[in-house]
Amino acid sequence: MSEMWINMGPQHPMTHGLWNLRVRLDGELILDVDPEMGYLHRGIEKISEDRHYNEVITLMDRCCYVAGMAWEHLYILGAERALHVTPPERAEYLRVLCDEFQRLGSHLMWYAAFVQDLGLMSPFLYGMRDRDLVLDLFQSYTGARMTYEYMRVGGVRNDLPPGFTQQARKVLDWLTDRFREYDQLCLGSTIFRKRCDGLGVLKGPDAVRNGVTGPMLRAAGVKRDLRKDRPYAAYDRLEFDVALADGADVTARYLVRMEEMRQSVRLLRQVLDWLDGHPGPVVADRLPRWLGAPYAPVGAEGYLLKRQYPKGVGFAAVEEPHGEALAYVVNEGGEHPYRVKFRSPVFANLSAARTYLVGYHVADIPPIMGSVDVCVGEVDR
Amino acid sequence: MSSATLYSVSFALVHDVLFALGRAVGGPVGAALRNSGLITGLALLVFAGILLIASLLNTIVLIWYERKLLGRFMDRRGAMHVGYAGLLQNFADGLKLFRKNTVRPREADGLGFYFGPTAYVVTSIVIFGVLPISSGWNAGALPLTLLLALTIFSFAPLFIFVSAWSSNNKYSLMGGLRSAAQMIAYEVPLLLAVVAVVVVAGSFDLTTIVYEQQNYWFWGPLVVALIVFVAAMLAEMERIPFDLPEAEAELVEGWNTEYGGMLFAFFMLADYLRALVGSILVVLLFLGGWTLPTWVPSAATSFPLAGILWFMVKTYIVFGLFVWVRASLPRVRTDQLLRVGWNRMIPLALLSVFLAAALVTVRCVPVFGCVPSLGG
Repeated sequence: MSEMWINMGPQHPMTHGLWNLRVRLDGELILDVDPEMGYLHRGIEKISEDRHYNEVITLMDRCCYVAGMAWEHLYILGAERALHVTPPERAEYLRVLCDEFQRLGSHLMWYAAFVQDLGLMSPFLYGMRDRDLVLDLFQSYTGARMTYEYMRVGGVRNDLPPGFTQQARKVLDWLTDRFREYDQLCLGSTIFRKRCDGLGVLKGPDAVRNGVTGPMLRAAGVKRDLRKDRPYAAYDRLEFDVALADGADVTARYLVRMEEMRQSVRLLRQVLDWLDGHPGPVVADRLPRWLGAPYAPVGAEGYLLKRQYPKGVGFAAVEEPHGEALAYVVNEGGEHPYRVKFRSPVFANLSAARTYLVGYHVADIPPIMGSVDVCVGEVDR
Repeated sequence: MSSATLYSVSFALVHDVLFALGRAVGGPVGAALRNSGLITGLALLVFAGILLIASLLNTIVLIWYERKLLGRFMDRRGAMHVGYAGLLQNFADGLKLFRKNTVRPREADGLGFYFGPTAYVVTSIVIFGVLPISSGWNAGALPLTLLLALTIFSFAPLFIFVSAWSSNNKYSLMGGLRSAAQMIAYEVPLLLAVVAVVVVAGSFDLTTIVYEQQNYWFWGPLVVALIVFVAAMLAEMERIPFDLPEAEAELVEGWNTEYGGMLFAFFMLADYLRALVGSILVVLLFLGGWTLPTWVPSAATSFPLAGILWFMVKTYIVFGLFVWVRASLPRVRTDQLLRVGWNRMIPLALLSVFLAAALVTVRCVPVFGCVPSLGG
C-alpha cells in the first residue's frame, strides 16, 4: 500500500469525544499525525464574562464530564483570589474530598476506556461499575452524578449528609481490593504487556518542552505534582506520595494512574477522619451579598458594596486528574468576572501527539491515545 | 442410537405424504406424484431445510448464550427483557436489522459489495451439510468430509477481502488485508493440527474419526494438536484475542464498516455460524463427537436423540470456553499475531504431527489424559 492520510475522527471509536486525529500511514506504519481539535468549542470562557461569579460554576461542570469537581475547584480558587475571599478550613477539606473522589472517578473512567481500547471487555465494565460507586457518593451529597455545581465562592454549597463518611470508607475498602484485581487483569496478562510496553514513549525533556503535564509527565520520571509543588486547599496538611514511573511508555502511565488512585484512597481516608472530628461552617461568613445570592433583589446596600468592592486578579493552578489546569480570573468590579481564561492540560497533551505517535503502528494508536486520557470537553472548552 | 437417520426420516415423511396425495388424486398426476425421482429430490430438500433451520436456530441460541455468558463474566446480566431471560432478544435484533435500509456507498463496487456477504454466509451454512452431528445426521458417508468442511471453511478470507475491497473505504481495506493475512497464516497450523488427528484416526471421514475415539478421546494423546487447533480456530473465527480485522478501537468495524442492515446481519450471522462450526470441529476431532466414554452408564446414551444431546452439550461447553477467552483477554497486534502464527504455531503443529505419528507407531498406550477403556 502506498502512503495515505486517514481521518480518525471526529466520529471514531478511538477518539472518546469529538476530535480528529489525521494520520499519514505507510501500510500500518504511522509516518505523521496531525491532531485537530475544536469540534466541541462552546465558548465557555466568553460566556463566563456574562455570568455571576457563582453561575460560572455550572459551566465548569461542563468543561470536563469526568472531572467536573476538579474544574469547579480550579475556577473557585481563581475567583476567590480575585475577590479576596478565604474559605473556612472545613470547606477546604471538603474540596480535597471532592477533588480526590473526582480523581478516583476520572481514573476509573480512564481505566475502563483504556482497557476497552485494548479489547479487554470485562475490565471495561468493572471500571464502570466501580466508578458508579464514586458517582453514588457524589450524588449523596451534591445531588448530581456528573454536573455537581457544589462549590461556591467562599466555601461549598452544603455539608455532608449524616453517615456519609462511613459509606465513603466502605467504598474505599472495596476499591482497594479492586485495584489488585485490575492489576492482575492487566499487568498479569502477557498480551497486555506486549501491547503496552515500550509504546508511545514520551521522554521527560520532550514532555516538558511540549508542556505535557499530569500522569503522562510523571510516567516519564519527572516529579511534578501541583498538590505538592504548589499546595492549594488542604493538601499541605495531608500526607501522600507523588506517583512516579520511569518507563515513559503506556505501561508507565498505567502504573502512575493506578498508584495515583491508591494515593487518592490514602488521602481520602485522612480527609474523612479530619471531617469526622472537625465540624464547622462550610461557607465563609461576611461574603458580599451579591455573591451569596445572585438572583436576590439587590438593594441600595448591595450596589454600594459592589461599587466599593476592591478589584483583583486571581490565578489558580490545580492538579486535575488529566494534568495541570490553570485559571486566570480578572475582577474589575461588578458582579461578573471581567475575563476568565483556562489552560487545559489535555490540550497540551494532545498537541504533543506527534512526539509519541510517529513510528508506531495503527493498532498502537488506541492504547497510546487511551493512555493520554483524552477529555475533549476541556480541550475545546 | 436407533437406525433411523435424518435422511431416512425425511425420505419416509415425503414418501408417505406424496403416496397419500397420489392415491387421493389418482390418474396420471397421481402416478407422477409417486415418481421415485421426485420423492428423492423432495426428501433431499426437506433434509436440507431441516439442516438449515437447525443450524440457524443453533446459531441464534449461540449468540444468546454468548451474550448471557459475557454478561455474567462482566458482572451484569446480559439480555433480559425480550422473551424469557432474553431468549428472543436476537430475533428482535435480527428483525430490526432486517427492516433497515441497506446503504451502498456511491463509489463502492456493486457486484463485490453484495456478493461478498452473500457468499460468506452461504459458504458458512454449506459446511453444516457435511458435519455429522450424530450417527444418523448426515446425508451419506462421504469419505472426505473433514477435508471438504475445512476447504469450505477456508473460502472466507476471499469473500471478506472482496467485500472489503469493494466497499471503497480505507478502514475496510485495512481490515480486509489484515483478515486475509491472518486467515492464511492460521490456515496452515489449523490444517497441520488436523493432520495429526487424521494420522491417528486413519481417515478423513468425520464419522470414522468419531468412532475411532470410542476407547479414548483424542484430546489426551493429541493435546498439542488440540492447543494449536483451538488457537488457530480462534484466529479463523476472528474472536477476541485475534479479532484485529474488526478491531473497533482503531478500524471502526474493520472490513464490514460500510455494511448496514441485513448485509451487516449476514456478516454477524456468518461469524457465529463459523464459531459454531469451529466448536463442532473441536468436539468432533478431539472430544469424541456424540459418543460418551464407555464407562458411562448406558442409560445416559440409550434414550432417543441422546447423541445429539451430548453433542450439543459438548459444543456449548467448547464455545463457552471461547467466550471465556473473549471476556478475559485483550487483542493482539497484527505483527505479533503473524509472528506467533508463523514462528510458534507452525512448529508446534509440526510437533503435534510428529507426536501423532509416534503414537501410531508405538500403538498408543493410553498416556496421560487418555480416557481408559473399561468396557471394550
